[in-house]
Amino acid sequence: MNKHIKQINTLWIMLIVLTLFSAYMAEKATPGLNSIAIMALVLAIKGRIIVDYFMELKHANVVVRTLMQVYFYVIPALIILVYLFPEQIAKWTAL
Amino acid sequence: MNEIADPADKSLSFSTPAKANSLTKGVPGNWAIWAAILAEMSEFAIMFIVYFIAKVHHPDLFNEGPTRLNTLAGTSNTLIMLTSSFFVVRAVIAIRENNPAASSRWLWGAVVSGALYLVIKYFEYQWNSAQGLETETNIFYAVYYYVTFNHFLHVGWGSAAIVWVIYRLNTGIYTKEEHEGLLNVAVYWHMIDLAWITIFPLLYVIR
Repeated sequence: MNKHIKQINTLWIMLIVLTLFSAYMAEKATPGLNSIAIMALVLAIKGRIIVDYFMELKHANVVVRTLMQVYFYVIPALIILVYLFPEQIAKWTAL
Repeated sequence: MNEIADPADKSLSFSTPAKANSLTKGVPGNWAIWAAILAEMSEFAIMFIVYFIAKVHHPDLFNEGPTRLNTLAGTSNTLIMLTSSFFVVRAVIAIRENNPAASSRWLWGAVVSGALYLVIKYFEYQWNSAQGLETETNIFYAVYYYVTFNHFLHVGWGSAAIVWVIYRLNTGIYTKEEHEGLLNVAVYWHMIDLAWITIFPLLYVIR
């Protein structure tokens, strides 16, 4: 098996394990900052794997690559911010 | 003797000269599909922002909402989407190895995964209805149905696009050197996967 196929197979298994891990967290973990932070981190890692290796943007055009990578910093960050400061954000977004 | 790279071998790149700086580098597939992908990612981003705003204004509904959804259906569909994306990557690798038959088989794997996703989603919606969870139940379910049905449609037409690529592959139109159409659909499919891996924690996991 060539190296690239081996790498893709390994990444696929990692994605599966990370998903099962977050499903387990959903069912078992007590909600709190730790579990929210872990879920946000899992999303960031999964997004990065797909963007860099499945979409093959790791060595592609810097603008497209950066836009796609930033997405998976911003959404996980929003998950944590919304958990930490819900009232403040509600105040900012009230009509 | 040192091996000299064959300049005609574009199998591992997407016609990006090695010397190009990262700004002038190309993208996998063509630019048009990336305009579409960035537009779609922005569309989903707007939905995610709506989710976050609704969540801070209705914390109780958004804490309770995911607990009444079918976590098994959500998790299964996440595993299926990730696996279908993996199949698509393997199809791209196969065409680069000049093996259109294998590429076609991998793509069929992705189509079957897409169909399975749609079937599970259909039964999940039925299951929700039986539990009395409808679009009007509360704002959490309104957001849930709006986002997931939108994604459902993407999986539908994405799967149809893969069937079209398989048809083109079987006519012998894609080769090791030229398979841009296949790459376009491949990266588009990964975008659909990316949207789902974001939807999954937001709607099913975080409470």
